[in-house]
Amino acid sequence: MWSLTLRLYISLIIVIGSALLKQNAWSMLSVYGVLALVWASILRARLPKLAALLGTELLFLSFLALPLGWQRASFLLVRSLICLLAMNSFLLTLPPHSFGIALKSLPLPSVFKQSLLLAGQYMEILLSEVERMQRGAQLRGLSGNAGWLRYASASMIGALYVRSLDRAERVYAAMIARGYTGEMPVTCELRPKETYIVILMSIIASSLTIASWLL
Amino acid sequence: MHIPDGFVSPSVAAVTGVATVAALAIAVKRANNAFGVRSAPILGLTTAFVFAAQMVNFPVAGGTSGHLLGGTLAAVILGSPWAATLCIATVLIIQAVLFADGGITALGANILNMGVVGVWVGWSLTQPLLRLLGGKRGRLPLAAGVAAGISVVVAAIVAAIELALSGTAPINIVLPSMTGIHILIGVGEGLITGGVLAYLATARPDLLPGEQREFRGWLVPVVSILLIAGVLSLFASAFPDGLDWVSEQTGFDKLGENVRVAVPTPFADYQVEGLDKIGTSIAGIVGSIVCFGIAFGLASIMKGAPAERS
Repeated sequence: MWSLTLRLYISLIIVIGSALLKQNAWSMLSVYGVLALVWASILRARLPKLAALLGTELLFLSFLALPLGWQRASFLLVRSLICLLAMNSFLLTLPPHSFGIALKSLPLPSVFKQSLLLAGQYMEILLSEVERMQRGAQLRGLSGNAGWLRYASASMIGALYVRSLDRAERVYAAMIARGYTGEMPVTCELRPKETYIVILMSIIASSLTIASWLL
Repeated sequence: MHIPDGFVSPSVAAVTGVATVAALAIAVKRANNAFGVRSAPILGLTTAFVFAAQMVNFPVAGGTSGHLLGGTLAAVILGSPWAATLCIATVLIIQAVLFADGGITALGANILNMGVVGVWVGWSLTQPLLRLLGGKRGRLPLAAGVAAGISVVVAAIVAAIELALSGTAPINIVLPSMTGIHILIGVGEGLITGGVLAYLATARPDLLPGEQREFRGWLVPVVSILLIAGVLSLFASAFPDGLDWVSEQTGFDKLGENVRVAVPTPFADYQVEGLDKIGTSIAGIVGSIVCFGIAFGLASIMKGAPAERS
């Protein structure tokens, strides 16, 4: 029912709108909170995975925010929670390899879209190479309490880069062979009804954000 | 060094945003050749690599931690600072939008600090440093490592200035503390950058730029002077010099207090008020630039027009 493009646009509107709110505009932030919750329930992201992601990211953010004092930190953390809820709900409900299709509709220079697409795809390669290197190290008996030191050494990081690059080059060659010319070979535009929804959401979000600065 | 939402004022966010958009517009035009069949996987992987590396914080003294900025590493591997600017900007956009790491309102400031200043300082220093070291390919890790370390410190200074202009913290507190901690983070950045490049030079030398012509022009003394004035001055001895010591011992140092007209000097004792050791570094760089400017101006006047000399 909801196209990839529409899902991306609505998620971004919630994220950007709430990020631009004035500090301590709690009433407007609560409206964004409701919007993000409704959006997450519409997208039906898997709750355990969503909660695990949000928990990890918030824990990391709290280290940055808490030294600022409770009043400031609480607003920053709630706002970050709303942004993360909207974007993670979108990302977790994406069909495999469809991030590039969703990106195509964004009004950004194609160089950026390519860079985002390739970075997203190669992240999977990097992670799988890390797992393979870990398995290789365990098979050679290189485990123990100080095992993490190996992964922090510069030559291991270099080896990870070279191994991932070999695979990344093969993936890119396969993409070219399948018709990739810098853009995904699919059409990805908003339908008229979807355009109205995006306009309506944009008006609501900009009204909330502007009101937070004026009131 | 990711500045979150609420740390920069709307005016600073707007100015840095405009500067960043301008820099990215130029980078998009200049980095078109980074998307060929040969280069696109390298750019994509380097972006993913820097993103992953920025998630891994390494411990720094005093209960804080730092992470790789990766600007110099990306610029050297990609062979273009424009492509590296795009790479770091992409990483920062992903972090801000998807992970709330670095604010969306501070995105302009973050890209300016890490993607523009960090990349360009690292790149601009790598080239002359490599030539200073003889131009041999094997010296690239050392040159890039030193440049990467310095680029982190310069990016931190710019971030501190932005925070001070925003009214978040006074300059005499935020500048020394940001610079001090980022000198340590810069050491980590330099070691990782140098180490990774040393490995790549052995495993995939085709990824790295070729040998450089040994540099004999004016950049050698200029870079050397800035390194001595800006970096080595931080380790200068705090003991009095020979005359000061003798004057203290013999008691005539009090005579200096009886001057009739006290002339105010902006960098008395090579210090900037309230900036501690970093003030020495800033005073050194400013002094070197002023000396260079005066000497250059005098030389230009003395040299005269070509017709006069003949």
